[in-house]
Amino acid sequence: MKSLSHRAHRENRLSLCGLCVLCGIWFAFGLSFAKADDVLHLYNWNNYISDETVARFEAQCACHVVQDYYSDNEEMLAKLAAGATGYDLIVPTGNAMESLIRQNALRPLDKSLLPHLKNIDPAYLNTAFDPGNRYSVPYAYTLTLIGYNLEKIRELDLPTDTWAVIFEPRFLEKLNGHVTVLDSQRELIAAALKYLGYSANDTAEAHWKQARDLIIRAKPYWAAFNASSYIKELTVGNIWLVHGYSNDIFQADLDAQKAGRSFRILSSIPREGAVLSLDSMVLHKSGPRPDLAHRFIDFMLDGRNGAELTNLIGSGNPNRDALQYIKPEVAQNPAVFPDRAQQARLEMLRDLDRHQRRVLSRIWTEIKLR
Amino acid sequence: MRSSWAGATMPGCSCVTESVHRLVPAARLTKWLVSGPPFLFLLLFFVMPSVIMVLASFRYPGEFGGLAPLAATDPGVLQGVTLETYQFFFSDPIYGQVFVKSIFMALSTTLICLTMAYPLALLIARSPKKSRDLMVLLVILPFASNFLIRVYAWMIVLGPQSALSQMVNGFLQWFGIAPVHLLFSPFAVLIAMVYVHLPFMVLPLYTNLEKHDPSLLDAAQDLGANAWQRFWRVTFPLSLPGIFSGSALVFIPVLGMFAIPDILGGTGDMLIGNLIKEQFLGTRDWPFGSTLSIMLTIAVLLIAWFTARVAGHRGSYA
Amino acid sequence: MRRGPWLWATSLAVYAFLYLPLLIVVIYSFNDSRLNAEWVGFTWHWYDTLLHDEAMLGAAGNSLFIALVSSLVATALGTMAGIAMHHYKLRLLTFMVLTPVAMPEILLGVSLLLFFIQALNLTLGMLSIILAHITFSIGFVAVIVRARLAGMDESIFEAARDLGASPWETFRYVTFPLILPGVVAGGLMAFTLSIDDFVITFFTAGVGVSTLPLHIYSMIKIAVTPEVNAMSTLLMLLTLTMIVLASRFAPDVLKGKE
Repeated sequence: MKSLSHRAHRENRLSLCGLCVLCGIWFAFGLSFAKADDVLHLYNWNNYISDETVARFEAQCACHVVQDYYSDNEEMLAKLAAGATGYDLIVPTGNAMESLIRQNALRPLDKSLLPHLKNIDPAYLNTAFDPGNRYSVPYAYTLTLIGYNLEKIRELDLPTDTWAVIFEPRFLEKLNGHVTVLDSQRELIAAALKYLGYSANDTAEAHWKQARDLIIRAKPYWAAFNASSYIKELTVGNIWLVHGYSNDIFQADLDAQKAGRSFRILSSIPREGAVLSLDSMVLHKSGPRPDLAHRFIDFMLDGRNGAELTNLIGSGNPNRDALQYIKPEVAQNPAVFPDRAQQARLEMLRDLDRHQRRVLSRIWTEIKLR
Repeated sequence: MRSSWAGATMPGCSCVTESVHRLVPAARLTKWLVSGPPFLFLLLFFVMPSVIMVLASFRYPGEFGGLAPLAATDPGVLQGVTLETYQFFFSDPIYGQVFVKSIFMALSTTLICLTMAYPLALLIARSPKKSRDLMVLLVILPFASNFLIRVYAWMIVLGPQSALSQMVNGFLQWFGIAPVHLLFSPFAVLIAMVYVHLPFMVLPLYTNLEKHDPSLLDAAQDLGANAWQRFWRVTFPLSLPGIFSGSALVFIPVLGMFAIPDILGGTGDMLIGNLIKEQFLGTRDWPFGSTLSIMLTIAVLLIAWFTARVAGHRGSYA
Repeated sequence: MRRGPWLWATSLAVYAFLYLPLLIVVIYSFNDSRLNAEWVGFTWHWYDTLLHDEAMLGAAGNSLFIALVSSLVATALGTMAGIAMHHYKLRLLTFMVLTPVAMPEILLGVSLLLFFIQALNLTLGMLSIILAHITFSIGFVAVIVRARLAGMDESIFEAARDLGASPWETFRYVTFPLILPGVVAGGLMAFTLSIDDFVITFFTAGVGVSTLPLHIYSMIKIAVTPEVNAMSTLLMLLTLTMIVLASRFAPDVLKGKE
């Protein structure tokens, strides 16, 4: 009768397993549905809003903000094209926003819900990407420029006002692999085009190929293509020179000071010109909570909150009311508030069509492989 | 990262004795009741998606991503079917080069895994029965931690501040060689590939080696073979099936990997997986991404077929 | 001589290779530095942060839920498939069950993405992840169940039939109790695979439904703090406990062979 006891034993074991499973399901349900109340789904650039600001908004609206991040416009567009639905609010750059508008993917704004809209500097309104601002409210702007470890760059006696330092082997040799560039097809090609003297929006294949060759020549001296964790590498001191976003470089400097590092991380706009990205808040059609999204937009339009964005993140600010709250040392930073002469050398990227995207992708493959 | 335990079970299940079934109507009903649900599920969620991928490769990319419509109402919009993506693939050798590079990476990973796994599997197989289970468990255990964590571990180990980096660079400096970066390099990618896939090699090898009859080695010894000859002439040839199934279990996942080059790679570490991922989650070119996926499938099938031929036994594709 | 010193030495080196990196992950989870580049000092801070990180806990809850549901369904379907493969030698079914196991994961991920969006027009989310996980788990369960059946004496089933048992009775009182350890092992396997999966989830996940591996990936890509290490350490402890428990309940689960 050994087999009988065996059976009983097995059945015991089975029921125990069943019990475990039930407990687990209960636990999982408890976790996932405990806070299914007011949730705003925000799809934003990484490092583009501080936790403090989010926490204050959450307290004010008695809701919960769930954030997803991207580090390249193409990544965001692809994710949306791949069926990501349910984001209430997205913060695309002009060209990506234009593409979303043409796709009919955005919800028109209800301006009666945005009393603070008047705070925005008219210079940033009514852009070619969204005439009349039917869909978008400017959030902040960043520049794609050169960031550097002041101590090391002085020590090596390198220039910082030209893209040559990113692309020319004679400078790169000294840096010995302590360089990263953005892992973004558009941004890197734009920097190379600028250095070659073309427009960042040049789409002539011959010019792209010239840019490709320039990049391939410089590539052996770079450590990596990186669009997000280079902030940390700058802070730690592993990387001395980057092609990166102004707010990320600002962040690296703040972090380095907080961590008690001896060096500063600064940025500079190359004299050949650079890319300016004006990022705007837009409402995605699939978002279930346009009411919360409007509240968030108006919250960010409040001068004090807008200023916090600049003070803590180091992004440029289109909000006139915010200027009075911005710390003087930030206000004087040309990478945050470029002067007129510098502004003239900045360029915003335009969207590419599918054929151009495919050709650029092939050039990118060549860059990564060679 | 998936086939660890199943991999070990594969070799044992080929020797089934045929049984005669009397297919009375009730039994026929049972047959459909048992095989129907999994068949339908896989038909829907495995076969259909594969078919759709093949169809997608003959379409134009949509203006904003996805696929262009088959029949458009607006004039001037690309529509219908095309061989364009295949022409694009073959028009430039660069894509072939990505495949060659990935195959080379998979091959190196497989060889390194084999050299590391063989002694370990041999030791386990020759250990007393009691300790074997524990030794196998010790191989599987690191596997129980998440795949990304195992990759992330190498970010710390290879980072510029790590003891390893300092040691290597101190050593190089001693010879007057400029310091090297271990992280964000092909080396980092390779070492993580080996790390993540090593147990796939150990387990099938062990399952095979464990079955060897020790008296064969005694006989070889009696016939005057030295330790090296005993290994090379007896153990190694007998272990070939284990080597082949282990190699397939390492080679194929490495071929499609994108996460490791993504996290640890430097400026030149693009594999097929990264290229496919970029088409779907970057360039928004689904037809071309599908074409690349089909090419990868063909490569895998060719390699599986080749392995099966060389190994000389059926069913080794799993 | 058969287990010579060189064999021991290389094997120990391989074991060290397997464990040292994970050990370092654990040690650095106690590092009192946000940058986590060099060792600064000991702290429990990151475990505390982790326990209050709602995004992380939410992702963990999602992972658990997905793993439970998908492993339950995959166990049922996989057991059926295993039995069918063993008894009826259906070549097409065998091919359909084994191929998803053998192919690189990215292929299944990408084709499911295409299928969900283009054919089903399904909103990516919990459901799409669960369906994807079931698809790749069935094969593993089926292989384990089939291996279990292959090790058994066919005459038991013949005997049951000869004694007048209906197919259902044969299954309920003979086949099922015998293959139960294999089914449990397959279920555990499906559960671990689901909770660990990154690649396929990466392509089939939607908005607001992050899983633990996806969350860890974005942390690694964007801002690595020792919180990732703390999470990893806790996960390792959890899986270790699960393995110890599993070996208590069903000792042959870990051997993967009958």
